Amino acid sequence: MAVIAVAVVVFVRRASARMTLLRAAPAAARTADPGARARRELAHVLGQRKLFQKALPGVMHAFIFWGFLVLFPTIIEAMLAIVDDGRSLPVIGQAPWFLFLVDVFATLVAVGIAIAFYIRKVQRPDRFRGSHMEEADKILIAILGIVATLLLWNATKIALGQTLHPSAEPVANALSNLFGTGQPTETLERVFVWSHVLIVLGFLAYLPKSKHLHIITAVPNVYFAKNGPSGHLEKLEIDLEGPEEDLRFGVATARDLSKKQLLDLFSCTECGRCQEVCPAWNTGKPLSPKLLIMDLRDAVAGVDPAAGEPTGEIELQPLVPNAVTDEVVWDCVTCGACMRECPVDIEHVDTIVDLRRNLVMAESRFPTEAGTMLRGVEGPNQNPWSQPASARTDWIGDIPVRVLAPGDPAPEYLFWVGCAGAFDDRAKKTTQSVARLLNAAGVDWAVLGGRERCTGDPARRMGHEYLFQMLAEQNVATFADAGITKVVATCAHCFNTLANEYPDYGATLEVVHHTELLSHLLAERKLLTTPGASGTVTYHDACYLGRHNGRFDPPRDVLGSTGLTATEMERARERSFCCGAGGARMWMEEDAGTRINDTRFAEAQGTGADTLAVACPYCFVMLDDAAKAAGSEMRVADVATLLAEALGEPTTRP
Amino acid sequence: MGATWVYAEVTPEGTLPSALELLTKARTLGGDVAAVALGPGATNAAGELGAHGATTVYASDDQVFADRPGRPAAHTLHQLIGQHTPSLILFPGSYEGRDVAGCLQALTGSTLMANVTDVAGPSRAQTEIFGGTKIVEVDLAGPEPRLVLVRPKSFPAEPSGGTAEVVMVDAVTPTGPTATIVERHAEAATGPKLEEANVVIAGGRGLGGPEPFAMLDDLAAAIGGAAVGASRAAVDAGWVPYAYQVGQTGKTVKPEVYIAAGISGALQHVVGMKGAKRIVAINKDADAPILKIADLGVVGDLFQIVPALTEEVRRRASS
Repeated sequence: MAVIAVAVVVFVRRASARMTLLRAAPAAARTADPGARARRELAHVLGQRKLFQKALPGVMHAFIFWGFLVLFPTIIEAMLAIVDDGRSLPVIGQAPWFLFLVDVFATLVAVGIAIAFYIRKVQRPDRFRGSHMEEADKILIAILGIVATLLLWNATKIALGQTLHPSAEPVANALSNLFGTGQPTETLERVFVWSHVLIVLGFLAYLPKSKHLHIITAVPNVYFAKNGPSGHLEKLEIDLEGPEEDLRFGVATARDLSKKQLLDLFSCTECGRCQEVCPAWNTGKPLSPKLLIMDLRDAVAGVDPAAGEPTGEIELQPLVPNAVTDEVVWDCVTCGACMRECPVDIEHVDTIVDLRRNLVMAESRFPTEAGTMLRGVEGPNQNPWSQPASARTDWIGDIPVRVLAPGDPAPEYLFWVGCAGAFDDRAKKTTQSVARLLNAAGVDWAVLGGRERCTGDPARRMGHEYLFQMLAEQNVATFADAGITKVVATCAHCFNTLANEYPDYGATLEVVHHTELLSHLLAERKLLTTPGASGTVTYHDACYLGRHNGRFDPPRDVLGSTGLTATEMERARERSFCCGAGGARMWMEEDAGTRINDTRFAEAQGTGADTLAVACPYCFVMLDDAAKAAGSEMRVADVATLLAEALGEPTTRP
Repeated sequence: MGATWVYAEVTPEGTLPSALELLTKARTLGGDVAAVALGPGATNAAGELGAHGATTVYASDDQVFADRPGRPAAHTLHQLIGQHTPSLILFPGSYEGRDVAGCLQALTGSTLMANVTDVAGPSRAQTEIFGGTKIVEVDLAGPEPRLVLVRPKSFPAEPSGGTAEVVMVDAVTPTGPTATIVERHAEAATGPKLEEANVVIAGGRGLGGPEPFAMLDDLAAAIGGAAVGASRAAVDAGWVPYAYQVGQTGKTVKPEVYIAAGISGALQHVVGMKGAKRIVAINKDADAPILKIADLGVVGDLFQIVPALTEEVRRRASS
């Protein structure tokens, strides 16, 4: 009893340090729609769904996890057996089906441990670089010890004839042949049950300070994860009129992290799945989402919770650059690959943006070359390239287009052209193709022309929330004035912002991406193609269309109707690799390591396709630049342009 | 109010412009103005500091200030403050200024306001927030002297024509662990003064490699006062350093004449040069977007056109 009490006290004391931090942290608004949260809990925790994104590690973890769910009662049983030899749990203690489950799952846990060691010691994947390998080894050995002592304990009980249904426990039964029926076995039975309980208790005491704390924190972390599209950044309330002490511009120190952000840190198991898919890490940059979380966790662990509320005496270290460097914060393309892989639903991107918010808004500290974009978005023309607002209709040429003047009747669809679509010569071709296709399909559509302005997305991903909010409010007012209810956008970033983020600023819009609308028009036979195009095409999923918003099929459906033969890149759909432009990286120089767009383009070239199809102007510019830099003949073109060509509409090749 | 002091950064080569900017501002605040110049070159700088408004210059030419960053200057200032009780000390927002001011604040326990863009009075300063979109005025509270770090080039430097009394001070060298400067390395300024040139000649992907940039250098030399720039594509390819880059994420230039050789005219580039009075584009592709914004577009092989142009410029210059 005393041993149990000691272990529990150690556990509680160690855990309470983290609980105090959590209690003091600002809440995250993550309680809406408990049904969706519960379903996610079932899928991600009980169903281990995200773990199975990798087959062997998924099997390994599921064996151990499910094993522990089943074995939980046996831990209590062992404790009872220590207190009073011969006592067992009521109902299930001697039930053959339960004994069978225990036997099977204890063995599966052992198999899981064997797989884990095979992965760690034989396969040695690079994703573990920077993780605490020795700590993991200790934990795995402890788990193996728990199930080994359990099986051996059960085996000795069988040997001693204390079990009513030995045949229900095939493994323990086989092991029981090792033991006789005499005094030595009785001693061994005590040794095994004591070892079992002591390892379990030691594990409990070790838990709060280890990465294995995830067995507790992952449960709430998954529950409080973001509902809905991962591309949706939460609104930051900036109250300039309120008390100065309450004014927060994102995350500066450990005390600014929300409860969810802290739980993220305490839930990381250092598995490195995020690191393995990160475009920055994969092109030789300092950012690894795993190391970011680990470094923040170590910094937060250094905050003394006993110090209580900040008194002004305690000067907290800024997280940037003390825990993570500026470079790490700016390397992120916000592609969300890390979050999509994370088995415990850590939200790396949201934390990075929060760190950026503080750097940009409180400290004016960001890569200087991005300043041109911010100044352009801010004013007077309100676009990243500072082009005159009047030039927003320059792409129109001789295409019949209705430009909405104030007071005009609202169209069914507003075509949100976007700044790139209006000003960039390559993206303009996409805009023109979409315009011709909408006309051909007889859609009632119009554009805002000079009244359109940047959605604010690049400013927001840079961390300039204040500027974003100004633009969002202005654009939402324009939509309301013009009576807009449906919007079609060609830019994946505009699409994400309009669809997911503008509702936070009062917009009630139905937003579709142009590939969705085109796919719909094809299905409705409002656009008729004779699939006459020849050649091969590979499609690059834009992060903010695909992974962040689940639109994988519409662009592929549209390509399917062109007659082009499609091939897929190895990293496609949910696992697509970013072009390098997201997270406002479009507006920054990329000096460290190799270039993300070159890496992605080389992958596209590797398919042997002669056309690389894109569905976002950022991807278009980045990958076309990479094609030119590589001196490649591979053509980069938007899905809409390829469809327009298949329809026989005259479009010039870029 | 008490005196306003300016921490003047000096070197044996002369006074840094920040000192003169801060003195010009300090004159407008009322009260006496003094400069504190520490390190080799300090006494020589006194004349110029006086000419910009310092009535007193506390100076020390001690080598220790050049050898050890921050702390000796902060401790010396601390002693001077004890003797003369100034109300406000302005520091330049440089590496040295921040180093000294931070260290001094730890000694005095007074207010230190960083990143200041204007000083409205002895206890009022301005700074920018939200990436420069909002300006806030800040009250400087706490015991005097208030310490203020001012961003460079916040004020123009204007001479007052005065002279200063030079008061020599002894260096206070603190005990305890200290950093020592072991080496100074001046990075040679590379790249042209793009923003100031009347004529900019920029090369792009069409040059095909680093060597043809010599051709552009020749043309620039022939024109005289011309600078050579590049598009992002040429910089990304590693042909010329980033300092050459003209465009959205590089420099913005507004020369009289901009010659774009082998540059297609992607938006990223055009943003940085569309303010040029005259744009000349040389490109082999008649559909290149740059030709749409060019005042003079030449469709042809730049490897023939640029040398011929250089030749013609030289011929006319010599005749």
